Amino acid sequence: MEEAVRIRDLNKSFRGHLSLSTHHVLRGVSLTVPKGVIYGFLGPNGAGKTTTLKILTGLLFPDGGEITVLGRTGASPKIRRRIGFLPETPYFYDYLTGAELLSFLGRLFGIPKAELADRSEVLLKSVGLENKGSVQLRKYSKGMLQRIGLAQALINDPELVILDEPVSGLDPVGRREMRDLILDLKAKGKTVFFSSHILSDAESICDEVAILMQGQVVKEGPLDKLLGSEIGFWDVTLRVGRGFQIPEGCSVLVQQDTQVLLRVEDEKSLEKVLDAAREAKAGIRAVVPHKSSLEDLFMAQLPGERAQ
Amino acid sequence: MTNPVLMSAQVYAIGKNTFKEAVRSRVFYILLAFAICLLLFSYVLGFLAVGTIRKVVLDVGLSTISYFSAMTAIFVGIGLIYQEIEKKTIYNILSKPLPRSHFLVGRCLGLMSVLLVNLMAMMAVLSAVLVFVGGFTPRIFEAAFFIYLELMILTAVALFFSSITSPVVSALCTIAFYLIGHTSSALPDLLLPNITSDFGKRAILIIYHLLPDLNMLNINNLVAYNIPVAAGFTWRAVLYTGLMVSILLLAAGLAFKRRDLV
Repeated sequence: MEEAVRIRDLNKSFRGHLSLSTHHVLRGVSLTVPKGVIYGFLGPNGAGKTTTLKILTGLLFPDGGEITVLGRTGASPKIRRRIGFLPETPYFYDYLTGAELLSFLGRLFGIPKAELADRSEVLLKSVGLENKGSVQLRKYSKGMLQRIGLAQALINDPELVILDEPVSGLDPVGRREMRDLILDLKAKGKTVFFSSHILSDAESICDEVAILMQGQVVKEGPLDKLLGSEIGFWDVTLRVGRGFQIPEGCSVLVQQDTQVLLRVEDEKSLEKVLDAAREAKAGIRAVVPHKSSLEDLFMAQLPGERAQ
Repeated sequence: MTNPVLMSAQVYAIGKNTFKEAVRSRVFYILLAFAICLLLFSYVLGFLAVGTIRKVVLDVGLSTISYFSAMTAIFVGIGLIYQEIEKKTIYNILSKPLPRSHFLVGRCLGLMSVLLVNLMAMMAVLSAVLVFVGGFTPRIFEAAFFIYLELMILTAVALFFSSITSPVVSALCTIAFYLIGHTSSALPDLLLPNITSDFGKRAILIIYHLLPDLNMLNINNLVAYNIPVAAGFTWRAVLYTGLMVSILLLAAGLAFKRRDLV
């Protein structure tokens, strides 16, 4: 498995005013982002997601630990040539137009002017801003800024795209569009490493996730493995005769004539229900396992007070 | 190893953007308009003051240009880096393959080009007023050249402070530099006659040589009285400016190199 990002034991702390206190933001973060996947970096506000991404892009310097990006150590300008980055709530020079912004940032990669014009046009179109290239950014809506932010992150045709909270603050349509754009990037062979606290969006597009809590990765791996190993409950549909006793350990969701829909919370109770059904010669119509959602998994990682 | 073509493209892009930022801001035009009004007012002053109109217009005109340009350099310069961090626009820039030193040099050159355009506009107005009063002399461009050298130093000073501290502290420090720079040349004449010990005299001279001397770049009076500049003086001034700007940019680069952009 080729790695796009490898982080080992990353630590970062910030000093308070007058250096009287130290706030440890990252406490030994380790994770691996394989190439070609959509990797969700999840966690509550203040968990250290943005700090990690800023270290990867050279905006912050770690106290300790090791980062390897696309096979090279550190976040040197050479590595940043192959990375696209969309910061959280992107701020741009609002006196520039969308096309001027892409042209300006493209020049920082040394892309020739003529090539830049073509790339800008294609990118503006791909993010749905083809008619807004000549409009000053101060006139852009939040969703448009997020889209031009994604366009600027792709101006160098990067191998690795790092997005910090790309769907935050967007309306449902904007979120859907951003999700589609991220899926499109994966289809083009790019690795997408994005942070989010909007779990439903992450669940719908991520191949792998890491959950960060208080500066530490508490869960990491392929999403289907993480969720697949933790079935939350089963819905069992039975066709029963009169006098069928509902076994303990389950609850009745719907009962209509001879059909009954039961919810079973654990595997032992499921076996009990199925044994009882066989004994009573009831028809077992369906047993549907329901995996935990990412939200369930996420909530299970929260420290005591917050989880409640 | 830095690719020189990429480096110059990056520095040029940052400089051009800094230039755009200034010329698309209202403050720039308000300052320029105010300076031009004062230049026109120098013509009126010429009638009221004692002496020839030409000399008054030259004196007031060059001083106005000098002060307004210095104020623009200081007050735009102190926000050059800090505002980028405050407005978070820097995240999009420094996450690109742009070494931080190139960013600083680009911002500095961008402001210097704004100041050059600003200076040229004001010189055009002063020239027009001097032509109108029949006292035009091409030596005002010599004065403008020295004013620009001073502006380059002030830009580098403001940029240095902007890269390490807040705009208020930067403004205070840069203004202090400006005031010290314009008074330091009087230090030996002022203090040496009152000091008897050799050690004290040496200490004063060392301090004098360490302090910035911006007065050496002020030839406004020489131009007003049509006194020629000493031979070799221009080269010394250019060398002094180049050295000051280089040292300040290097210091800014070192201070900014490992700064966390929170």
